Amino acid sequence: MNLEKEQMIVETILQKAPYAEGKVRRERRIEFRIPPDRIRDFLTLLKENNFESMMQITAVDWLKDGEIELVYQMWSYTHAIHAFVKTRIPRDVDKARAPSVRDIYPVAETYERDAHEFYKVTFEGNDKLEMPWILEDEDREAGVSHRKDFDMLGYVKKKYKLLDRFEEDKENYVI
Amino acid sequence: MVSQQELIREARENGMELLPLEKDTYELFFGPQHMATENYSLILKMDGNRVVKAIANPGFLHRGFEKLAEYRPWYTNIALLLRICVPEPDVPEAIYSMAVDELMGWEIPERAQWIRTTVLEMARVSAYLFWTMGMAFKLGVYTAGQWAAAYRERFMVLFEQLTGARVYHIYTIPGGVRRDIPGDKWLRQLKDTVEYLKDKLKDFDNVLFENYITFKRLEGIGVMDKKFALEEGVTGPNLRAAGVRTDVRKLDPYLLYPELEFEVPVLREGDALARALIRRFELEQDLYILEQLLEMGLPSGPYKVEHAGFKALPRFKVPAGDAYAHVESSKGDFGAYVVSDGGNKPYRVQIRGPSIAHGIRVIEQLLVGARLADVPVILVSLDNCPPDIDR
Repeated sequence: MNLEKEQMIVETILQKAPYAEGKVRRERRIEFRIPPDRIRDFLTLLKENNFESMMQITAVDWLKDGEIELVYQMWSYTHAIHAFVKTRIPRDVDKARAPSVRDIYPVAETYERDAHEFYKVTFEGNDKLEMPWILEDEDREAGVSHRKDFDMLGYVKKKYKLLDRFEEDKENYVI
Repeated sequence: MVSQQELIREARENGMELLPLEKDTYELFFGPQHMATENYSLILKMDGNRVVKAIANPGFLHRGFEKLAEYRPWYTNIALLLRICVPEPDVPEAIYSMAVDELMGWEIPERAQWIRTTVLEMARVSAYLFWTMGMAFKLGVYTAGQWAAAYRERFMVLFEQLTGARVYHIYTIPGGVRRDIPGDKWLRQLKDTVEYLKDKLKDFDNVLFENYITFKRLEGIGVMDKKFALEEGVTGPNLRAAGVRTDVRKLDPYLLYPELEFEVPVLREGDALARALIRRFELEQDLYILEQLLEMGLPSGPYKVEHAGFKALPRFKVPAGDAYAHVESSKGDFGAYVVSDGGNKPYRVQIRGPSIAHGIRVIEQLLVGARLADVPVILVSLDNCPPDIDR
């Protein structure tokens, strides 16, 4: 497998961004790890290097590490390369903060609203975060989230007044 | 005649709030009952017949699939995630399976690749026919819409014979496909259907795509340029209609696409008409791809990989890591990001539907200044599919 193109792009970007770590995952997939305070600089750099489109911002809740990983999924039409840009922020709701990138990639506004609703990450500089998004007001006030420590089963049972059909400590219990 | 003040007072007494009306400006709730919006709503601030401001209001279809997927074994998730895209359920199956394949390090047998490619192309064709039905109905060309629905039915029957289900197929699984092709008869039927539909494309042109009404209604509305489209994350046919020659099947080839020949149609105008015509051209290309696949013939060999874990699927484990897979669906770039921590359930699954870009910011901006009658047409021309916003 020829990975020259990927190697070259990773090297070019790392030269301009010494704070980042980067590697080639496989053909057409590259990965960068950056500190959370450099997100804006790094994404500006990626945009200058022909990563035209942001596909998604994924938040992954790493409960054991006490961190939330933000993965910016970037796609370049010019190079035909998908870049994962990963950064980790603290998990506590007050400290889970990251700068908004919606002036660099306008579509990020939507993804940030999504990550804010389900993972309680605050993106500083995005004033649409508090606008109604997918959840209903009732669920939002009850603190529904997709974080790992949210007791979804308990909440669903309470909300819809479900009866227990199985014992909860049963081993292969799925909802 | 009741005065405006009285109306406002009466509404307050009944616990409602009527917004003050200045001349012709008013607030209009467009959807979720409206046919064009498909369980999705727009709040339009209108001035007479023109839209001043549009606010997208998603969330009517939220079922928490991404969270539910974290509670279920790897293979059970197939039956769940495909519901994210209703007109084209093979796409979420395929991307999730491709991501899991990558995590497992599996090379899919050639026969399974052929079947997956065929199923994806059949899904694209039937999704385009479904879209044609929607578009024709919005334009008032009901005949073409009913034809499209009838021809889509032929593909539904083929899917039923192949997978046992009409809409939600639950067919593509990590490691290959669930069942083998039912036999040569099915392949012959598929060939006949493709040929039949190819003949009928001319009828669609006559009635819908070369129709004076279509041009009159679609030309010059909802225009986006190339820069706007790229920044807003527009993908697929909508991006090609704005002048970017791109296709995931060419740029990031998967399955058998490197061996297939097809063209990527591009138009420059970026209006609703261009988006409609692009879909018409792609339908033709997809039929051509299906013909090539049938000509290539079904490769011999197994239709899924051999693995010891298949004996006890609830305990099937995937090595820790993450993978992103995406395919070109009829709506755009459909991607799945799957994270595993080595357990028997995914740690995180994120599905990136094209509509999360098309249906929120893009539509809000394209609708400004549009006539009320054009709102459903612009919505359908973007092929907005709300379930993949809400997930």
